[in-house]
Amino acid sequence: MTTRWEIVVTWAVVLGGTLAAWSLAAATLPLPDYYLPPPSAVLAALVDLTAKGILPTYVFESLRRIVLATLIGLVVGVPTGLLLGMSRGVTAFFYPLLNFFQSVSGIAWLPLMLVWFGFGEQTILIAVNYTVLFPVIFNAMLGVRSVPPLYTNALRTLGAPRWRIVRDVIVPGALPSIATGIRLGLAYGWRALIAAEMLVGAHGIGFMIFNAQNFHQTARIMLGMGIIGVLWVILDYFLLRPLEEATIARWGLVQR
Amino acid sequence: MRAMARALRGLAPFVVLVAAWALVTRVGLVPPLFLPPPMDVARVAWELARDGSLWVNIAASLGRVLLGIVASVPLAVGLGVVVGLNRRLAPVVEPIVGFFNALSGIAWLPLAITWFGLGWTSVTFIMFNTIFFLVFFNTLVGVRAVPRIFEHAVRTLGGSRRHIIFQVLIPGALPSIVTGIRMSIGFGWRALIAAEMIATSTGLGFLIYNAANFHQSDTILVGIVTIGLLWLATDRLVLQPLERRTIERWGLVSSSAP
Repeated sequence: MTTRWEIVVTWAVVLGGTLAAWSLAAATLPLPDYYLPPPSAVLAALVDLTAKGILPTYVFESLRRIVLATLIGLVVGVPTGLLLGMSRGVTAFFYPLLNFFQSVSGIAWLPLMLVWFGFGEQTILIAVNYTVLFPVIFNAMLGVRSVPPLYTNALRTLGAPRWRIVRDVIVPGALPSIATGIRLGLAYGWRALIAAEMLVGAHGIGFMIFNAQNFHQTARIMLGMGIIGVLWVILDYFLLRPLEEATIARWGLVQR
Repeated sequence: MRAMARALRGLAPFVVLVAAWALVTRVGLVPPLFLPPPMDVARVAWELARDGSLWVNIAASLGRVLLGIVASVPLAVGLGVVVGLNRRLAPVVEPIVGFFNALSGIAWLPLAITWFGLGWTSVTFIMFNTIFFLVFFNTLVGVRAVPRIFEHAVRTLGGSRRHIIFQVLIPGALPSIVTGIRMSIGFGWRALIAAEMIATSTGLGFLIYNAANFHQSDTILVGIVTIGLLWLATDRLVLQPLERRTIERWGLVSSSAP
């Protein structure tokens, strides 16, 4: 069995080797500087942009947008999905519609939003919120339908009023599906945000890397990519995992 | 007959939606520049189909998706199995691939443009990235999740390493691999639309983004509807059958649609 120590050593070797190979390649390959800046240049870009205050502003802007979309997804999307799921007929009607709108990514609506609202904050927010909202609604709705009728019938037989059935059976039963919807919505939404920031260009980390490309500031691009990855890992670790642990894992559907 | 009835029931919501759309534009609630009536959109779709540009753009987009799949899936599955076999490397590689997974897609575009310029190569690179890391990650996780006891059983019965890989690990990881492929096509398709807007002059993404420059809402709507229909068709004709053959066969999915 692999020990903790071995894993640490392997980590050190893999990371150290990658950085060394990267530095070496940047120093020796006969390419223009902007093709592959060395890791030190990326670090310098990090220090420089942080000192100038550009980076914190952009990170804050992107985070603000995705957090807003998440909140709207939770406050508007989940209840809407639950409501739609309450009746079999309503679900049957909305299933193809929601499936269609879910499969058209928010970024495909962006051109239309550009015509409607122009290049600005509104366009970004609508594209991102759209992308987050539809998977959340869709999965919340499916979650309600996936609750076995046996459970609702059991409560009904025992004389429970409708609100008790909703509170004690339907909502908890739909939670795993809701968590799936939120994870999917955020994963799509985060990418849509980066793309929207590139296309619309109103601050944010996506704008940063796209703009850097125009000036061949490749170190900034790589820095931005690193930050995009790290931010998602943080989002995953502090928001999505706890959510899933509170829902899916609790009902014994996830094995770790 | 029953299939027909089901299809009709599936279509009904769209009929209602289009009727509402027609009503809204007819009453003049929204100016046609913003939301052209359905008939105008249908006419533009017909024109685009007749002069062939719609088909060219569809073919370009689908071709890129296919190229991305063909180039990255075999590599990702192979690499995932090899790394998954290595008990020392796997726990280290998994979070790294997870990181690249989080980064995958459109975030690579500026770097891709720096390296390859605007055009086919950049877009294909984005597709490759998106699909590769997701499938790699899922293969790796799938292989690692196969209970060791199966491996031991085959080994006890005198099975070789080859047997373990092809009879135990790959079939055991298959549901996870297929989930990965399915997700990767979803993510890849979205990344493609965004990448086409920026980096090429063909494809559905370009079609709608270019139309936005000329305020041609009707062309944009044709593109949006085409994108949605293509995805639904891919899902119905490719991904769901694939899942049925693999995941459901191993009894891991209960179809949940109403």
